[in-house]
Amino acid sequence: MATKRCFQTLARQSSIFSPNPSLQYLHRTLKPHLQTLTLTLASTSQTPKDDHIWHSLILSPNTHFAFARSFSSNRGNDTASDEDDGVGDSEDEDGEISDGEEVLTANRREYSVEEKETEAAAIGYKVIGQLERAERVFKDYEPVFAVIQIGSHQFKVSNGDCVYTERLKFCEVNDKLILNRVLMLGSKTQTMIGRPILPEAAVHAVVEEHALDAKVIIFKKKRRKNYRRTKGHRQELTKLRITDIQGIEKPDKTAPAKPEKSPPGKTEKASVKK
Amino acid sequence: MESHLPAFKESNPQLEVVTEEIRGQHPHLKGLYRNRNERVVCVKNMTPEDVLECAAKLRNSLGRKVLKLKTRHVTKHPSVQGTWTTELNL
Repeated sequence: MATKRCFQTLARQSSIFSPNPSLQYLHRTLKPHLQTLTLTLASTSQTPKDDHIWHSLILSPNTHFAFARSFSSNRGNDTASDEDDGVGDSEDEDGEISDGEEVLTANRREYSVEEKETEAAAIGYKVIGQLERAERVFKDYEPVFAVIQIGSHQFKVSNGDCVYTERLKFCEVNDKLILNRVLMLGSKTQTMIGRPILPEAAVHAVVEEHALDAKVIIFKKKRRKNYRRTKGHRQELTKLRITDIQGIEKPDKTAPAKPEKSPPGKTEKASVKK
Repeated sequence: MESHLPAFKESNPQLEVVTEEIRGQHPHLKGLYRNRNERVVCVKNMTPEDVLECAAKLRNSLGRKVLKLKTRHVTKHPSVQGTWTTELNL
């Protein structure tokens, strides 16, 4: 078994090196692999230089067998270790998302590559924009709404609304987000329905806070069985404020003070009549 | 003893971070918010990393009272195209 393996390796090594080398050249190049050298010489060529071949052959058996033993044992170790590593790697790959992450502890992961962050953000249907620095982003109310999906939850959202979602990773307080998963847009005159999403629609939002919800006590009891469990749970939430909806024509605001005065006057008269 | 304090101070230039030594009391973090709300968190027997996490949580949150949410969507203008009624004819 071991001898067969060794012969195979010898054949490979001999083929790797030049096919018709001189003996001396072989000897120089294959100095560390004395055993291999000698055996190939013995098998392939029948040269007049038999003396040193025999010498080397005499030397070879001990070294050869030692080499064989060490080779086999190392091989066994290598294969075992390779198998373990392979299994471990596959498990890790299945558990983790992809290669760029390092698992420090069960809770904390360092996302080393920024691309991974953006990919994960795409899963949660948001794109991180820029931080806000003394910009006036909050506009007045516009009569436009959008149906947005974040994670698995959908909201009908308008300008200036607050939305509480599950904790969004990769964004800090005062971050601008662009929610690209928009299912429907609507205004006073127009409605756009996406199948399933509208490709050229974008909703801008700002992260207001990351906070914990109120504590919910989960109490389990089985009567007459002496079983009672109490567990407290606080869900981590993110509060988003919607600032802008893009992708639909917004009706221009033409509302000076004068026309606003007349309708209230009319309603007052109507109420007096009734 | 928070060894991460300088880094925390640098990452939050808008905050005033004050350290005081209090004798005879448990160590705690006090957060003063703009709506004059105070949140006190006891950090007794916590590692520096945990203390940093607590401080980050205080920084991330507004000072609002922690209540159960009635709705996840808070809006002042619930209807754009008019509220639906049974008499609505499209």
